[in-house]
Amino acid sequence: MSEISLTSRAVGDRPSVSLLRRLSALQPVRFLVIGLSLAILFALIAYPLILLTGYSLVDAQGHLTFETFEKAFARRGMWQATVNSAWLVALVTIGACALGIPLAWIVARTDAPGKALVTLAAGVSFVIPTFISVISWIFLAAPNSGYLNKLAIDYLGFETAPFNIMSFGGLVFIEIVGVYPLVFFAVNAALNNVDASHEQAARILGSNRLRTTLTITLPLVRPAILSAVILVMLDALSSFGAPSAIGTMANFSVITTKIYDLLKFPPQFNYAAAVAMPIMVFTAISLLIQKYAIRAENFRTLTGKATPEQILTLGRWRWVAGGFCLIVALVTAILPVGALLLLSVLSSFGADIRLDNLVGKHYALIFDENFAARASILHSLLLALATATVCATLGLVLGWVVERFRFFGRELIGFLVMIAYGFPSIAYAVGILMGYVELFYGTLTLILIAYAGKLLPIAFVLVRNGIQQLSTDLEEAARISGAGWLRSIKDVTFPLVRGAVGIAWVLVFSLSLRELSMSAILAQSDTQVMPTVVLQFIEDGAVELAAALAVVIVVVSLSMLGLIRLFTAKKTTAVA
Amino acid sequence: MPALAAAVDWTAPTSASAADAGRARLELRGLRKTLGDTAAVNGIDLRIASGESVVLLGPSGCGKTTTLRMVAGFIQPDGGEIHLDGVLASNASFALPPEKRRLGMVFQTYAVWPHKTVTDNVAYGLEVAGRSRAEIKAETGAVLDLVQLGGLANRFPAELSGGQQQRVALARALATKPSLLLLDEPLSNLDATLREEMRFELRGLQKNLGITTLYVTHDQDEALVLADRIVVMNKGRIEQIGTPEEVYHRPASRFVGGFIGIANMLEGEVAAVDRVGGRVLVALDAGDRLWSRAPERWLADATPGSRATVLLRPQDIKLERPEQPDQEAGTEATFVSETFLGNHYELKLQAGGTLLRVQSRVRGTFEDGRTRLWARAGSAWVVA
Ligand SMILES: Nc1ncnc2c1ncn2[C@@H]1O[C@H](COP(=O)(O)OP(=O)(O)OP(=O)(O)O)[C@@H](O)[C@H]1O
Ligand SMILES: [Mg+2]
Repeated sequence: MSEISLTSRAVGDRPSVSLLRRLSALQPVRFLVIGLSLAILFALIAYPLILLTGYSLVDAQGHLTFETFEKAFARRGMWQATVNSAWLVALVTIGACALGIPLAWIVARTDAPGKALVTLAAGVSFVIPTFISVISWIFLAAPNSGYLNKLAIDYLGFETAPFNIMSFGGLVFIEIVGVYPLVFFAVNAALNNVDASHEQAARILGSNRLRTTLTITLPLVRPAILSAVILVMLDALSSFGAPSAIGTMANFSVITTKIYDLLKFPPQFNYAAAVAMPIMVFTAISLLIQKYAIRAENFRTLTGKATPEQILTLGRWRWVAGGFCLIVALVTAILPVGALLLLSVLSSFGADIRLDNLVGKHYALIFDENFAARASILHSLLLALATATVCATLGLVLGWVVERFRFFGRELIGFLVMIAYGFPSIAYAVGILMGYVELFYGTLTLILIAYAGKLLPIAFVLVRNGIQQLSTDLEEAARISGAGWLRSIKDVTFPLVRGAVGIAWVLVFSLSLRELSMSAILAQSDTQVMPTVVLQFIEDGAVELAAALAVVIVVVSLSMLGLIRLFTAKKTTAVA
Repeated sequence: MPALAAAVDWTAPTSASAADAGRARLELRGLRKTLGDTAAVNGIDLRIASGESVVLLGPSGCGKTTTLRMVAGFIQPDGGEIHLDGVLASNASFALPPEKRRLGMVFQTYAVWPHKTVTDNVAYGLEVAGRSRAEIKAETGAVLDLVQLGGLANRFPAELSGGQQQRVALARALATKPSLLLLDEPLSNLDATLREEMRFELRGLQKNLGITTLYVTHDQDEALVLADRIVVMNKGRIEQIGTPEEVYHRPASRFVGGFIGIANMLEGEVAAVDRVGGRVLVALDAGDRLWSRAPERWLADATPGSRATVLLRPQDIKLERPEQPDQEAGTEATFVSETFLGNHYELKLQAGGTLLRVQSRVRGTFEDGRTRLWARAGSAWVVA
């Protein structure tokens, strides 16, 4: 061992580190950014939720009590509303599975015609919120004047109107159509990812097709089905738009509409919070099941690729399956969209469908300066812009912090964000109202806070995934080249996740445009947004105006979503 | 290349006074780091002088990357100190951020930025340093020529081959004229032929530029080509530091002997000690007695009758007849297998209880599957 190769500790005194050098090593910007984003996260998500829980458990004197619950649920109609909600969840879940699973199987595994149509239709009904499809179905299936009813009585010889959308059954139907795409897409994706070899291995061992499907394929896609079922249940439980529109006319309530009623003047925060609790608890339990039970099953991560050998030739049944596909596409997408467009230009609901009855006056009225609708369009666009920007920025910073830093509480960020995701909008809005109403009463800021908190998870997850796929080496290479922390984000991280950030921005924008449940609670007379105005129109019976405004929402949303193509196209060129 | 080396004085320490000749470019003192529950780096002392090329060599998981990343400033040590140009850069309570260390680094994954062209990748460090546009252009061009990428300056990384991306990564690391260049298995993603070529190219570049390098690899051939000194690591500790010849011919431990090159380890008993000649006579368990050189420290404690392990390289074993006629009877060995490898035969033989690997130009003659073999004089080395 040569002398120069090894140093003893005695060689050279330990140099003292100057304070300045220590300070420069601390990277204040980094701590500022992290601290600030954590603070915002707490203000947006933790604070309202703590308030909400607090209000429901504490009485006016500040004592812990369950009395609020007793009183809240003793109110007239509250118990019935709870039962209604339970039925709604059960029926919608069963219906969405009964529709979504077979459809997914047909599309993924058979040679039925019209498969592309089904996928498109599912996409369409996924994009259209239920408070908008309600309008279409009122047009089509209102008890007396619905056009399908008229058709049935005039031409098919029915004595009485066969359809009644303004009923609990009607609500269930609309909700099913709105959420079945969740099941369809999840199961379809899972089926596509089951590697052919799994099934072929069973076939080689002598199992027939049916048995293979039941014992191999189905268990493999079970986690996907369970995840989708949980999403569907939460969606049905927290849905507000359709229940509100139909409930008003058919005279029934569910939990969410009761919460809304409790917040009408004079607002009763304690009761609203207490009534929101069951939804929160149910949500929490579902998410825990999701996290533990389903994750535990996810040893079967599906990464294969479906192959043509797995496609079943249906023979004569091909046309039956094709017919089923066609009917689904017709009922869930073509009819509602057609009805919405038609109604928006029809001189009045109930008028005969003739060329000279088609007018543009509803659109004219919507864009009229002296009419409330125009302001709501501006508000909505403004809010969507702001929400998308806030969420994309926060998502980027938080995603980066969670992916790139090891510090105590790192997991807490992801956890808080995901709580906001699972949280029913209506309960969340109550929390926001209690936390910020005094600061921001009657302003768009109040609504922005709610939108941002609720939609942040979507941006967070997308951007985080984008960052996850970036090797840390890329950033470290920038650091070694002399770039500071912030500069390495600006020059390397951001350009490389720009695609993901862009997609997040567009999605949040579109979702903000159609947000109803929180808006209904938070919007005041001069902060109305498009969805609340649509709902108001429906409740006032002005369905033609509702349809015209709804068309505006759908068109703007869809064109924004079209932008995603732009980002995804860019991304492929950027990432090697 | 000489032109560039002359234009740019790579060897002068940029911040410290050049007069201080004893100052090491990099100095590690008692460096320690625990990751999870493994002591990934467990007390490392190392000095790298200006212009030197040092290779950290060791099996997978021995802590090479961890050491390198501590030097870079991406990991903070749990104990010990890192000094760059005589100035403290890291200890358990202080860490200079990576961007302030004036280092260059080539990553195993290249980490070439996919959204920047070759030129922009290479120019980045200079831009960050706030150099003038003309300077950046000139120096980027020079470095690209140096790594023979002049023609591809405007391509995006996705349009380059793996080897070319590798060169971009190298050019980027060299462009800022770092005081120390760090390389973490930079060649491991290349195919065998290219890897071999690049070894020599990197070595040539390092020598021409006189740039101080710390290079991490688990490939012994790479280490032998690239190193002025090799640091053999095992389980977070240094087993030996020495020139390639030293670690190959005079390994400090059984581990080093086994890790670098093919090693035949023969057990035996010390029969005589020649401290002046620095050697011992070992009576091998497999028969035969041979004089074997030994490390000084081991020699100090050696007495006749103590056990010894002797290392013999495959090419140092002779078949059929001894190199010098007066050598002893030789060791009897039985034939196990034979492979023809073009310029030599690779034989496996059994001697006593030990399997020996022998490289021989002659095929060897066997009687009843038996033959005799001798060690080349002066080639044996005691490892423990
Ligand atoms: N994040 C971590 N958490 C826990 N243990 C770790 C972590 N990173 C590395 N280790 C452990 O530390 C030890 C040293 O790892 P290191 O990456 O330095 O090895 P290496 O010598 O570079 O190996 P290789 O040649 O495979 O790259 C290994 O045993 C490894 O398992
Ligand atoms: Mg490594």
